[in-house]
Amino acid sequence: MKSQGAGAAAPRTGNQRKSAGRAAGYWSEVWRRYRKSRLGVLALLMVVFLGLVAAGAPFIAGTRPIACRYQGNWYFPCLYYYNQRWENPVLIREGFRRSPYPQRLREKDPRSIAIWPLFYADPYRRVEEGEWPGRPRDTGPSPPRLRNPFGTDDLGRDVLARMVHGTSIALLVGFVAMGIAALIGLVVGGLAGYFGGWVDVVLSRLIELVMAVPPIILILALIAILERPTIWHTMAVIGCTRWESIARYARGEFLRLKETEFITAARALGASAPRIMFRHMLPNALAPVVVALTFGIAGAILIESGLSFLGLGGDPSAPSWGRILNEGFPSLGGDSPQWWLILFPGLGIFTAVLVYNLVGDTFQEASDPRLRGSSR
Amino acid sequence: MVHYFARRILIGIFTLGLITLVIYGLIRNMPGDPLALAALGALDAGQQVSSVHYEAMRKEMGLDRHWMVGYFQWLSGLLQGDLGNSLVGDRMAVTAIIAPRIGPTLLLSMTSLVLAYLLSIPLGLYCGVRSGTWQERTLTTLLYMLYSLPSFVAALYFLILFSVRLDWLPLSGMRSSDEVYGRLSAPGKAWDILRHLVLPVACSTYASLAYYVRFIRSNLQEVIRQDYIRTARAKGLSERAVVLKHAFRNTLIPLVTLFGLTLTALLSGSVILEQIFGWPGIGRLFLDRIYQRDYPVIMGLVLLFSLLVLAGNLLADLLYALVDPRISYS
Repeated sequence: MKSQGAGAAAPRTGNQRKSAGRAAGYWSEVWRRYRKSRLGVLALLMVVFLGLVAAGAPFIAGTRPIACRYQGNWYFPCLYYYNQRWENPVLIREGFRRSPYPQRLREKDPRSIAIWPLFYADPYRRVEEGEWPGRPRDTGPSPPRLRNPFGTDDLGRDVLARMVHGTSIALLVGFVAMGIAALIGLVVGGLAGYFGGWVDVVLSRLIELVMAVPPIILILALIAILERPTIWHTMAVIGCTRWESIARYARGEFLRLKETEFITAARALGASAPRIMFRHMLPNALAPVVVALTFGIAGAILIESGLSFLGLGGDPSAPSWGRILNEGFPSLGGDSPQWWLILFPGLGIFTAVLVYNLVGDTFQEASDPRLRGSSR
Repeated sequence: MVHYFARRILIGIFTLGLITLVIYGLIRNMPGDPLALAALGALDAGQQVSSVHYEAMRKEMGLDRHWMVGYFQWLSGLLQGDLGNSLVGDRMAVTAIIAPRIGPTLLLSMTSLVLAYLLSIPLGLYCGVRSGTWQERTLTTLLYMLYSLPSFVAALYFLILFSVRLDWLPLSGMRSSDEVYGRLSAPGKAWDILRHLVLPVACSTYASLAYYVRFIRSNLQEVIRQDYIRTARAKGLSERAVVLKHAFRNTLIPLVTLFGLTLTALLSGSVILEQIFGWPGIGRLFLDRIYQRDYPVIMGLVLLFSLLVLAGNLLADLLYALVDPRISYS
């Protein structure tokens, strides 16, 4: 029964009433079943929310206007947070890098208009006295207070701003790392399953090899060989070490699908091997792979924060959640423990891992026809 | 069956060779070597090594040769039962460095493994039998949340709560400082270690606990739908006998395989936790030696870890065949 595999059996075998459904019908059926789980939908909403926070971080917290009208032209200084090179050269020439925006705008052009982020704080520096009308200098480290709801770190940087801007790091690591892992896993697993024979023997050995090294060992060894690891290296390393479960699922699915009648039919029609693999087998093998991928994203977020916590996560100034934990940890042994540097980033990591796990679980139950109606 | 396992062991040895080769290549290509790092440290002490001396030391440590040559030297040493000497400090033998670290790690991981099994079996049975009631749902949700809570985050939370705020438990280490520990009586020493053990064990137990409970529960739910359970009920057995004698025994099969797979986590899964709690174990040794570029010690540890994974997988298969007479490897 185990070998029956999960997923795409629905349109061909199960559910006679909906037998007209094709691949699209299968996915809408999955979605129909997914929606039944209130927790799953809630988790999905949280995933969307986290994505929005990550994508719109400069709109939520920053010291640069989202948009401003300066000497007759509109500028978008917040783009700086996405990429430092996207700051308009005109603004750099006008000296906006030297003194903060609110002050400078008032001095240089009293008639300027600016749309500000929700929350005036910067993830990379402290807010100084008089920068924003009525806002005193941010001293650090400080426990949570009205103007710094999550407190500030040693350098007076606002923890909420750092966490908001760190969301994109966590999610980006999850998605990019798992994108790489999915690519490797699908190619290795797919080829092994489709061709079988000696190809399968060799590739299966490869999968076993990767499984036989404890991931943390391989990741630490790989990170350590880099002179100056960046967040992109971390993603690549996680992606290159965490593909084996995807490969195993893909192999199992391709092995199973190879024996089905519609593949035999496709072959009889003279379809080429790539066509059979991409057009006919891949869409039917996707459900378990997506499940493994979702769990993988949760795992990648976990690994990245762990590495950053150990101080191995690349650029030290990047506001990764694990990095904030790393900055707060030494203070626990001292006289003034900075608990807010632990509590809030910890909650962030926990939430991200939890919601991706929940989405993966719910999707697994919704996409696996064997489990239908079994969960009371 | 003997044939099957002989083949598996041969493949395992081959895999081991590949893993050590890859890791050796990786670590030898890390930027910096132990000498350069040691020289960097000695710079402030005003005892810089002369360049002639430096070259001589490099040669003596074998760092001037290509890493492939180095690997085969390491391998031939290994075949003669010699893991070499450390490259830092007083150049102790690798085995002498690793050996004293095994005890603390095993103390931590064995305690948490036993605890996890002791707690998860009754909890899993409860969840499987009472499936659908609100108590079961609360418990399952709670365990699910625990499962998603990274152990290092939990460790930091525990430290804040129990060590910093309440000051009930020590912050780090395996025992109090030598002068305090030395004056304690034997039960006092045990109590001291126990107090240091509580938080690390709690952190490494809860995650696997959540996983095992889910595992047992889903297996039990699958078993309970089998015909032989219906038969057992139909012949009038008490619910207790049905669950414990008929259902639970059959859920043991996958549980046993799980045991083989946890063998690895026993020694390696604790790098971050050992770092946080200042536990003098294997994981911390590995991290320290990566920083110091101490190639022989890293290789010794990698060998240990990979051996454990392979042995664990083999053990899982073997146990599977032992407990389930339907399985035969031939």
